[in-house]
Amino acid sequence: MSYSLNINGQTYVVDAPSADTPLLWVLRDILHLTGTKYGCGISVCWACTVLINGQADKSCDVTVGSAVGKTITTIEGLANFRLASDAPGAKGMGQKLQEAWVANQAPQCGYCQSGMLMQAAGLFVNQRHPANGDINGAMQNVCVCGTYQRVKAAINAASTAV
Amino acid sequence: MNESTISKATALDRRQFLKVSSGFLLALTFPIVANRALADTNMPANATGTAFIRIGTDESITILVGGGEMGQGIYTGLSMGAAEELRVKWEMVKVEPLPAIASWLSAGSGGIRSRLPTFLKAGAAAREMLVSAAAAQWGVATTACLAVDGTVKNTVTNEVLTYGQLAPAAALLPVPTAPVLTPAASYKIIGTPAARVDLPPKTNGTAKYGLDAVVDGMALAIVQHCPTMGGTLASTPGVPPNASTVVALYPASAYPITATTTALPNAYALVSWLPNTTTWTLMEAAKDIGGGVWTIPPDAALLDSTVFKSQAMSLLGRGTPFIAETKGNVDTAFASAARVLDMTYTLPYLPHACMEVLNCTVRMTPATAPFTACEVWAPTQAPNSVLTTAAAVTGLPKTAITIYPMLMGGGLGRKFEQDYIAQAIATAMTIGRPVKLTWPREQDMQRDQYRPMAVTRIQVSLDAANNITAWKNRHVSPSISAQRRTTPLTASDNNATEGATALPYNFPSRLIDYVQHMSPIPVGYWRSVGYAINCFAVECAMDEIAFAMGISELTLRRNLLTTSTDPLAARTLAVVNAAAATAGWETTTVPAGRARGIAVGQAFGTIVAEVAEIGVTKNAAGVVTNFTVYKVACAVDCGTAVNPNSVEAQMQGGIFHGLSAAKWGELKWTAGKASVTNFNKYRMTRLGESPVITTTIINSGAAMSGTGEPGVPPIAPAIANAYFKLTGIRVRNLPFFPGATMGG
Repeated sequence: MSYSLNINGQTYVVDAPSADTPLLWVLRDILHLTGTKYGCGISVCWACTVLINGQADKSCDVTVGSAVGKTITTIEGLANFRLASDAPGAKGMGQKLQEAWVANQAPQCGYCQSGMLMQAAGLFVNQRHPANGDINGAMQNVCVCGTYQRVKAAINAASTAV
Repeated sequence: MNESTISKATALDRRQFLKVSSGFLLALTFPIVANRALADTNMPANATGTAFIRIGTDESITILVGGGEMGQGIYTGLSMGAAEELRVKWEMVKVEPLPAIASWLSAGSGGIRSRLPTFLKAGAAAREMLVSAAAAQWGVATTACLAVDGTVKNTVTNEVLTYGQLAPAAALLPVPTAPVLTPAASYKIIGTPAARVDLPPKTNGTAKYGLDAVVDGMALAIVQHCPTMGGTLASTPGVPPNASTVVALYPASAYPITATTTALPNAYALVSWLPNTTTWTLMEAAKDIGGGVWTIPPDAALLDSTVFKSQAMSLLGRGTPFIAETKGNVDTAFASAARVLDMTYTLPYLPHACMEVLNCTVRMTPATAPFTACEVWAPTQAPNSVLTTAAAVTGLPKTAITIYPMLMGGGLGRKFEQDYIAQAIATAMTIGRPVKLTWPREQDMQRDQYRPMAVTRIQVSLDAANNITAWKNRHVSPSISAQRRTTPLTASDNNATEGATALPYNFPSRLIDYVQHMSPIPVGYWRSVGYAINCFAVECAMDEIAFAMGISELTLRRNLLTTSTDPLAARTLAVVNAAAATAGWETTTVPAGRARGIAVGQAFGTIVAEVAEIGVTKNAAGVVTNFTVYKVACAVDCGTAVNPNSVEAQMQGGIFHGLSAAKWGELKWTAGKASVTNFNKYRMTRLGESPVITTTIINSGAAMSGTGEPGVPPIAPAIANAYFKLTGIRVRNLPFFPGATMGG
């Protein structure tokens, strides 16, 4: 069966084995958009986080059938991700996040960082200047390397970046 | 389709410059600093290291680095050494994985410690050759030439030639055997917090981990093992809907499978090459196969944590020990003791739980036998071991095999093993097409090679003046080394007792011994191996002794280090003092409701002390239900920090790893089945629960040592010691909170 998906501003028509196939595996195994990561498959670790209609969600818990007609942003599209409030011609929040991540040398093994970045992007959609509690509450991604301190610093840096 | 590839250089000469199509490649071999001996691995005593530097006529400067990048920063750290001696700007350098034929093992926190001298010499040799080439071209002495930022400058005429322009001529010159190294005081890159080369791709989805490998025409496969440890495959199951075939798989050591193979298959690969299939489709299809295909071992009921615990406790009293370290006469000391302290600590089995599950991608050429070539895309800490495995499974010579080391989504000691590699190769050889084989998370957790459980008893004798006269420590645990050999242990297993032996404290007599716990649970190297297990016991015991003596735990450690003649005592004292100072131990008041605990440990030559400041949460009945670690002050002496940015990151990482494990980490066995199947039953610290970690780096100038693992050991005892102050409860059995779960 065919599904039309809007991913990072591009339309992909994919044949998936079933409507309940998780978006995660359609991205990874069929479209080879491998930046979105498999960690647990049970929406606990959040490594597979993407934006669906601008809201962070776990792609292992979103079926391909339910993603039709929605706007999907993955880590591959983060560089072009912009908040509604981002000034035309100025850097978008996606680019600010990526730069803040590198400036703070946040990743170690890096495997969970796609999900971290997309979760942070979703946080900024809802809260342009997140407070400490907002960050703590939103960022439930599991990082076995323990990059949290630098991730937090990077989010704060992105919050004030111009 | 873009396959995941690296530069393919299978026949690299280890001793000379090689002229390649554009520019040249320097391959220089020097003796390496002895790595910690991992038992029964391929690390010869007099190993040599080879550093590869490629300089292109397009001015590209590429450092080829072996081992594996799992977040520890090895690609950056070693390349910094080569770049330093090449006298180029850090931003000019690119890094590639070294082909497996010349690669090495990433283990024992030895990557930079053992290899940096080789990379320094290689960089210096390349620089001298480029300078000689320039001098010859200008007809001047080499002393009139200056290497700077990727060029050679004629200091008389101010003419400049670039490394790319000089590369072809330099390649024809002899390789200096004793290049002149830059004095450390003149370093411009080493010692600076250089940006890691592997990070930008980790922020935009382009970083390629093993699980991201894509090969034209590849099938997908998942692995299923018997849910009961030790179970074997009774018969190869029929192919369920939405799959293409099922392949029986054997333990890695059984390959190649021949008519005389006696080992039984212990797993199967469920494979699909149906169009648009997914790994998830296979996970669902496996449910249709069910559990009826396994032979459950007859003694499965004995594979039980309660049984294991009673076995270990029994061995503690009457096992036959191997002596790991002895000094003085402990029996005499205990016989005349005024007081004896007796403390037993237990630690559970732990899975590695790397974020990236085990996986491996393989292409055989041609697709069906007889094969002439094999390519392996693997997340691995041991590219050279993968090469050996591939040769064994395929029967091909190593020259017919290419290993592409992929980034690892965590290694932690698990991706040193070969089981998943052999499975993927065997599957590709059977199905007649390339395959990516994935371990579902549940398999990754249930078929790990776990950190060994351990029971360790420390007995201390005190004289009437409160001096420690003897220290006895008996350690009982399954032996990682013994499980990897065919003959019984004949001496203590250092993997078990490291961190219990060679303590820097002034203990006039001491006896550390080891009793092997024969356990059928597969055990392996878990970040910091024995050090974290033993540091918990030793440093908790130190606190208990201080309390019994009625002095502060900091004073006790200072006393025992100040009076010690151990070669590491002075450095250990400095690290303890630095951590205490960073924490404000003697200068600031602990906020109400909180307490601080301290612990110190040496691992792989690096000394780390940590002070944890914690608070506890109690329920209505007054029972402690949780603790919060607010702050950790960490001090580390690794001799010289090549990249302080990476050292700090590794300390943070180690502290989180040890914190999660101490608080919640436990994998129990019931009738051969693992209690942990996914992250929902293996809780990890999350961002909102994170302490603020402050790291102080002490550049003592001692021999360089690694930092990937030494951050782990002190955090558990530091927390336990703070916890005692707050609650009066000595936690001697980890984890603090068994049975924890984690929601989404």
